[in-house]
Amino acid sequence: MILRYRTVLLIFTLVFGVIILRLFYWQVVKASELSKLGQIQYGQSIKIEPIRGEIETSDHFPIAANKISYIVFANPKEIKNKEETIKILSQRLDLNQASVSAQLSLDLFWVPLARGVDSGLRSEIEKANIPGVGFEQEFERLYPEASMAANLLGFVGRDEGGSSKGYSGLEGYWDRLLRGKEGSAVQIRDAIGRPILARVNSDEPFGTDGSSLILHLERGLQFLAEKKLKEGVERYGASGGMVGIMDPKTGAILAMANFPSFDPQEYSKYSDDLYKNSFISNLYEPGSTFKPLVVSAAFNEKLLTPTSRCPICTGPISVGGYDLHTWNDEYYPNSTMLEVIQHSDNIGMVYVARKLGVERMTKYLDKFGIGELTGIDLEGESVPHIKPENLWYEADLATAGFGQGISVTPIELLTAFSSIANKGVMMEPHVVAAVKDENGKITKIPPKEIGRPISEATAKVMTEVLVNAVSKGEAKWAKIPGYRVAGKTGTASIPIEGKYDPNKTIASFIGFAPVDEPKFAMLVILDRPTARIYGAETAAPVFFSIARDLLTHFGIPPDE
Amino acid sequence: MKKPTFLLSILLFIILGLFVTRVVISNTISTSGVALGQMQDELRKYKIENALIREKIFTLSSLSNISSEAARIGFSGSKSNFALSKTHPIAAAR
Repeated sequence: MILRYRTVLLIFTLVFGVIILRLFYWQVVKASELSKLGQIQYGQSIKIEPIRGEIETSDHFPIAANKISYIVFANPKEIKNKEETIKILSQRLDLNQASVSAQLSLDLFWVPLARGVDSGLRSEIEKANIPGVGFEQEFERLYPEASMAANLLGFVGRDEGGSSKGYSGLEGYWDRLLRGKEGSAVQIRDAIGRPILARVNSDEPFGTDGSSLILHLERGLQFLAEKKLKEGVERYGASGGMVGIMDPKTGAILAMANFPSFDPQEYSKYSDDLYKNSFISNLYEPGSTFKPLVVSAAFNEKLLTPTSRCPICTGPISVGGYDLHTWNDEYYPNSTMLEVIQHSDNIGMVYVARKLGVERMTKYLDKFGIGELTGIDLEGESVPHIKPENLWYEADLATAGFGQGISVTPIELLTAFSSIANKGVMMEPHVVAAVKDENGKITKIPPKEIGRPISEATAKVMTEVLVNAVSKGEAKWAKIPGYRVAGKTGTASIPIEGKYDPNKTIASFIGFAPVDEPKFAMLVILDRPTARIYGAETAAPVFFSIARDLLTHFGIPPDE
Repeated sequence: MKKPTFLLSILLFIILGLFVTRVVISNTISTSGVALGQMQDELRKYKIENALIREKIFTLSSLSNISSEAARIGFSGSKSNFALSKTHPIAAAR
């Protein structure tokens, strides 16, 4: 009896022992594998996109903001009258009936039909009361000022994974900061595959919204610069143009305009080459606007003074097999350096360049940051290639003296020139003044000094030379009465297939004001003007037209 | 024998009292989820409304819009600036 009892007990113990071991195997040993399988079958990881940070001008107006838009989706399994639904949706959403039909034929619970639908259109579709059609809210970029500062801003598109991504300009350079951090959740589905619940599974499930940027850019100045640039391009029949306005004391970019431009809201409708910011990407031969840098270098090395005379300025000269002339074939024998800049005398500049020599010329190109990135906080900056010292020929030195045979970007030239306005101190150009995080905490970006190419004394002397150039030079007819403005015209020939085309020029004017306490330095460039080809007759009037309004804007009284 | 009966009565009374309290409180908070849901819907609605109004404000206060509206109404830009200089003080005049 006892034996029978014990036998039964043993059998039961063994059976239950096996069951427990099997349970242990499936619930502990294979737990993670089965859990993953379950998630794959019933769960789907979904991204939670953070809200992109805004970009504000200095008056805290959001020049790039976010607007609510909707994804129109459908559940094909719940569509009752398919033909009618296709007709209504294709009409309202302005889509091809075939593509809507294809989407509604899919064996899925969720199919997207259209993106970027505004609330007005959403209300219209909602009124139609179509079963199986729903809306998902998302945010889309809004540019309230349309194409203003488009090349500076860049635009927001989608990357390969379908997430928002900034391209070009500020949106590209500051993309990581602006886009924030994505969150993630697991969406659980029921037995027949319908989504029923989202489960969050990390410390920051909803991600972090992007930080916002506060720019130095002044909206009124940007508007003014774009308006005047467009008028100038149209008046002088140019292919395009650029304007850059900088505070020489801090490197703050107050305005930067390109024409032609594009609308970042509809960027896909424009050609790719319009996206780039020519002011930081285009390389060009600066011509006479480069002369102040070369003369500054000679003054700084104490090789010449404003009253030093040019012994070779009697006529055209031949250098390395090339004949060099002045821009108007007029010659001023024995002219002073002051007069060389006033007359924009190329032969005088050859004399200055020879005085400097290749070694000092390349040294000052380096000091002025020519051939290096300025470090401006925009995507797409180019850098010209400057030949090493040992590869310079006599002709290279001579032509570099008057800004030909050497390439710069406009931002490089403006940055270098601004050192003359800022007592010899060169500041790093910056568009962004401060960063504001999602909690509203503002972190300012301080100005950064990037070099001292010339002394304060040299800068002061050079300023007076440039004031004289404006008062008595070719652009004197355009100057603002009552104001002392320092500046220089530029008319650079464009190299085409190894030769310079005499009828195609890059006309420019660079300058700053007021002379004693400069509030702005500005570079205006017109690409291939046709009505007139000289900087004094095209870029200079545009410069002074903008400068007049700038002086009023800054409340600067006459100082002459 | 009276004391245990008395204690039992008190316990029974407490249990009944707690039961009634629980029923009353459950009843009251049972609809708070619905109310909370409604409040969240309203909050969402106002957030969307705010965002839409904000968009409209930005577009209307943009310089491009102001400029075109100003031109339409008949405003024109100032054409020239001039400076008024101070007269010299009497003591300096000769």
